[in-house]
Amino acid sequence: MPSDFEPITLTGSAEEDVSLLEIIDHVLNAGVLIHGSLVISVAGVDLVYVGLNVVLTSVETALRSLKAEQAREPAKRSSK
Amino acid sequence: MSRIIVYCGFLQEERTKLPEMGVGGSKVNVLAQDRLCLLWSEVPWPFEPAGLQQKAVEFHQVVQHVFQQAAVVPFRLLSIFDGVPALEKFAAENGATFTADLERLRHYVQMESVVYVIQERAAEEEKSGRAYLEAKAEVLRLSIDHAARVKAAIQPISQEIQVREVKSGTRIFALVRRGNEERFREGVKAVPLPQSISRRVSGPWPAAEFLSPEVRMPQSAGQQ
Repeated sequence: MPSDFEPITLTGSAEEDVSLLEIIDHVLNAGVLIHGSLVISVAGVDLVYVGLNVVLTSVETALRSLKAEQAREPAKRSSK
Repeated sequence: MSRIIVYCGFLQEERTKLPEMGVGGSKVNVLAQDRLCLLWSEVPWPFEPAGLQQKAVEFHQVVQHVFQQAAVVPFRLLSIFDGVPALEKFAAENGATFTADLERLRHYVQMESVVYVIQERAAEEEKSGRAYLEAKAEVLRLSIDHAARVKAAIQPISQEIQVREVKSGTRIFALVRRGNEERFREGVKAVPLPQSISRRVSGPWPAAEFLSPEVRMPQSAGQQ
């Protein structure tokens, strides 16, 4: 079966082949959503199947946004 | 600057063994709220983007370590709390709903099948606009039909099924009793695969698609 997924082997008691893209997809897009991860979810689950670069770019963008947000917060507080 | 990163929640059991190391080699800690345990680490924040892929794998390994032994409610990577007091407040406010979900899902895992269209760019470029659109519609119809067949095939062994259309195709999530993972794979494989369609099976995963809305997007105490 053709696949775009890159298999990696995880160490553990039960070794299994899981694609890196699937791991990143689940780690970023599946589960409890609280502060921070909301920005990531804008990229959408389906983007991970377009390509790893898209997701990583989104993560970087999100982190830049978070940094910018953090930088703005002290400014907001001091202006109050 | 450091922050608290949360990996997952699980029900307290004496036999559950915890991972020795978390993201970036951090110490893994447990916050207990009645029967709910939240696994967390203190990590330098913000993460360097260059190391995110490695951190994602490490995060996954921590969650998997517990998930191999028990049901978990996974948190997403970058679920950050300002400090332990904020996490304690979060646990106090959401402990009951998390515990209820973990009780409901304790014997189940999530299996997934993705059905997607194989792109044949070279052939598509030779077609006229109308032929291209017709061919695309036909492949899409095949994909939807195949996803429906896969869903029917796994229905008998699934407690619940969720289907989500994405750009690349159809994702089918099934809540399957732990131990029935192979039956799920066999059920999917039994459905003949048409040309132009491909599929992938993965799992077992924590049952993230089957969390209640209150757990998936909880009251985030201590968060801005």
